[in-house]
Amino acid sequence: MSDILFKVGYGHFLVLAAVLFLIGMGGVLVRRNALIILMSVELMLNAANMTLLTFARMWGDLSAHTFALIVIAVAAAEAAVGLAIVVAVFRGRRNVDVDKLTALRH
Amino acid sequence: MIINPADFGYIVPYLILVITGLLLVLAEAFYKGKDRTALVSLAVAGALAGAIASVVLYRQVAPGARVTLFGEMLFADRTGYILSALFCVATALTALISPAHQREHEWQLGEYYGLLLLSASGMVMLAHAANLVTIFLGIETMSIAIYVMCAMRRRSRRGNEAAMKYFLIGAFATGFLMYGMALLYGAAGTSNLLRMQSALAATSNPGLVIAGGFLLVVAFGFKIAAVPFHMWAPDAYEGAPTPVTAFMAAAVKAAAVAAMMRLFGLALGGDLLPYGRLGWASPFVVIAAITITLGNISAIRQDNVKRMLAYSSISHGGVLLVGICSLGLGAVSANGSLIYYLIAYTLSTLGAFAVVIYVGSRGNERTLVDDWSGLASKHGGAALAMTVCLLSFGGMPPTGGFFGKFYVFKSAMEVYDGQLLWLVVIGILNSAISIFYYLRIVTAMYFKEPTTPFTPTKSGGLIFVMALCPLLVLEMGIMPGFWLKLVGG
Repeated sequence: MSDILFKVGYGHFLVLAAVLFLIGMGGVLVRRNALIILMSVELMLNAANMTLLTFARMWGDLSAHTFALIVIAVAAAEAAVGLAIVVAVFRGRRNVDVDKLTALRH
Repeated sequence: MIINPADFGYIVPYLILVITGLLLVLAEAFYKGKDRTALVSLAVAGALAGAIASVVLYRQVAPGARVTLFGEMLFADRTGYILSALFCVATALTALISPAHQREHEWQLGEYYGLLLLSASGMVMLAHAANLVTIFLGIETMSIAIYVMCAMRRRSRRGNEAAMKYFLIGAFATGFLMYGMALLYGAAGTSNLLRMQSALAATSNPGLVIAGGFLLVVAFGFKIAAVPFHMWAPDAYEGAPTPVTAFMAAAVKAAAVAAMMRLFGLALGGDLLPYGRLGWASPFVVIAAITITLGNISAIRQDNVKRMLAYSSISHGGVLLVGICSLGLGAVSANGSLIYYLIAYTLSTLGAFAVVIYVGSRGNERTLVDDWSGLASKHGGAALAMTVCLLSFGGMPPTGGFFGKFYVFKSAMEVYDGQLLWLVVIGILNSAISIFYYLRIVTAMYFKEPTTPFTPTKSGGLIFVMALCPLLVLEMGIMPGFWLKLVGG
């Protein structure tokens, strides 16, 4: 039992990343505030990054580190665009509840 | 990684698009005068230069040859160049139909053209992708630009809503894509698509391959709006400005298919990975069958032309998935059939949406089917153009759409042991169903009296696209030989 606590290996990181990914996915599916959904998506991307880096270390391969850096940069660009869209929606409606976006539903 | 300076010669189309795109964004900042639509000529010139460069390079590369560039990050092959030429042409046509719509509906923003070309550069990267990194970068470059283009009519409630839905779903899909790629990398130890297939087949962790493949199926399901991941598409297509909708339906879907051709055809293809109860092909064929059927059935009960075209494009996504499945399962001709189908589908989509822009005017977009009553008696040319595009969607001869469907289903029949035969039957039955709702628009245009007088949006570029797309679609159907030779190499 104590082995799990004191001998930290690749498995720990992978499980942590998987749990983070599931939390992020749950957040997207359950929460209705667009900002929180955006945060949950970031959590999913960070979980993917952590998995990527764990495997990169496992395989002794540097190229995946670059991949992770690229993902971080792209996630930042995506968040910038996403926040701009959230602000544009907020200006028109005074809230960012995704359940209240019903102008297009038939 | 050693970069060979000669590699830059192979990515000239990409460089042209990026440089013109950046110039356009800069030009918007320094441009004086109210009418920003003047920037459109630069955008069209850049996109056409990209298309010409792709054609020149297509002729340089021998058939079947595959040059790897930049430390195996990109491929230079004929498939890549013909697809990048298609994306460049689609971009040029979108740029041509945009200024009329911008002027009519008052959203004259010059950044639009810069974003259009930058988005096209992402598509070109997808067409040449040889690595998980380039696939991710291409998809994100393309998508982020499209999110902004969707949201460009800032004062429009519907536009904002469409952008928000598209963005949230797109970002969610990116999460799946990235996690799936990370798991596949973990199983293979390489992110190179060429080496991945053998590495995955020999992996000691089949669980990672199954989970990673499943996550990628979900991610691309969102991207090409396959059922059950399609709920965003009709809303986004209806709410976005019509030229952006045309670009999303035509080019973005084609680019996602280009990425899938590389990923599922190459990295996850072969004799081992797609098969079995846990291979990616089993969920994929089911998704393809549901997508074709449900897309069509939902399209039948739509009254809004833009929504109807959205559901029809979902259904076309299903046919494209059939092509991807047969490619992954080893049908040799699937590559060529998919490209042929993409060319026909892209041209018909752009033509149809050009007519939608033509029919609408300020304050009255006239997107309901009833609004189209009697179009033929007043504007016969527009009605004819729409009819040809709709017949091509429905797969009626003599149009490119007919041969597109024919070749895709033919390659599906080539799959070992006739495994996809049932899918072909479903696809053909659905073609027949789809004729029903396409003809609804045609009968409204030809056999009903106009309710209110038409005040069409007129512009040279728009009319050019409305004439060119149906003509090319007809030409593809009457003389498919030239195009087949083109995609076969």
